[in-house]
Amino acid sequence: MAGQSDPHLSIFSPSEVEFVAEDEIVEIVPNIRMEALNMICGDFGPFFPQIASKVPLWLAVALKKRGKCTIRTPDWMTVDRLTQVLDAERESPKEFQPLPFHYIEISKLLFDHARDDISDAYLVRSLIEDIRDVRFHKVETGLETISGRTHAVKLKNLSAMEVNIVRPFMVRTLQAFYKHDSPQMIQQADNTGSRPTPVTDRGPRRDLRRR
Amino acid sequence: MPGYYDIDDILMEEEPISVVFQVSANGVGLLDPGAERNSVEKGAKVDLPFWLAHGLLSLEQAVSINVPPCFTQKTRKEIQADAACVDLRIRCPYFYELGCKIVPLVNDRSIGLFLRYAFTSRYKEILSKSHSSSMMTVPKFVPRLTKEEAQVFESARDSMTAFKKWRAGGVRLQKASILGRKRKTKLPDGPSAP
Repeated sequence: MAGQSDPHLSIFSPSEVEFVAEDEIVEIVPNIRMEALNMICGDFGPFFPQIASKVPLWLAVALKKRGKCTIRTPDWMTVDRLTQVLDAERESPKEFQPLPFHYIEISKLLFDHARDDISDAYLVRSLIEDIRDVRFHKVETGLETISGRTHAVKLKNLSAMEVNIVRPFMVRTLQAFYKHDSPQMIQQADNTGSRPTPVTDRGPRRDLRRR
Repeated sequence: MPGYYDIDDILMEEEPISVVFQVSANGVGLLDPGAERNSVEKGAKVDLPFWLAHGLLSLEQAVSINVPPCFTQKTRKEIQADAACVDLRIRCPYFYELGCKIVPLVNDRSIGLFLRYAFTSRYKEILSKSHSSSMMTVPKFVPRLTKEEAQVFESARDSMTAFKKWRAGGVRLQKASILGRKRKTKLPDGPSAP
């Protein structure tokens, strides 16, 4: 993994997360006739003009670059849908609305290579930026509640790029709390002059969202 | 966890620790600046590096270790007043690492709680600044962070910086710098005129 300096901490660069996102399936409308493509990950096609077909994003981008297809905007990437998501994100302080796991990467790739296929591109982009900011602020607010040893943090519906941004900080923070809140450090103080009590190894599991 | 080759762990063990010798030690007067002979008297107070103090302690309780200055009541009161403003780096760059190692060796039972409280308080300040600061500007409190806190802060800042760089786009492939240079080839000089 590129840029890895700490051998104990795996770091994915954003380009690598984007590379993984390119395996997502999108819908294209080809303007050529082509036989089926047989790939390791599956067979795609055959393609006929003006008949929609589902292909991986990397293939859609490649065909788009060669002018052989138009990419159909995903259902979630419309102004109406994104407006609903943004309103819902703002209303719930701890929950994340369900969005595709790679929504940030998919939107960036489509804006970079298929901007003319997106209606209201400027508004869509602005909405996605707002959604990302609101969600990130919620992640930070949730992180503030960590004040002790925590074995697991549950973040339902968080996307790949959002996890990747916060992973280094969260991993190091949880490691530090694990060390400072360990029984060896705290038990001596708590059991001064009293019988030692058994301490379970697992701390409380903490949910950053309401069940 | 520190390994054998962990340079931070090695540097941490260089921190001076105040100890009191429980027995007389012959032939090591070098350790005691106030010694008149080549030996350390019983009851002498000496500053030793942690690795030496820890080694002596484990050898038949030769010394007793005092609480280092960075864990005394003075520092604790400052942490309780405003944790984010205390300059822990100037007191001890390896504040948390040293604290974890000193807890089993001293009689003070509350250092562990103090460490957790200090990190919990300062962690919130690190969290609020780390993901939003750029590489150009450095918040005022960063020079006051310990080694461990600085690592946490920089990992978050680097992660967000990498994301913003990717978000800004640009070419995926970079041209090797050598390709941009023009080659200067000198023709060999002709035979000199007679």
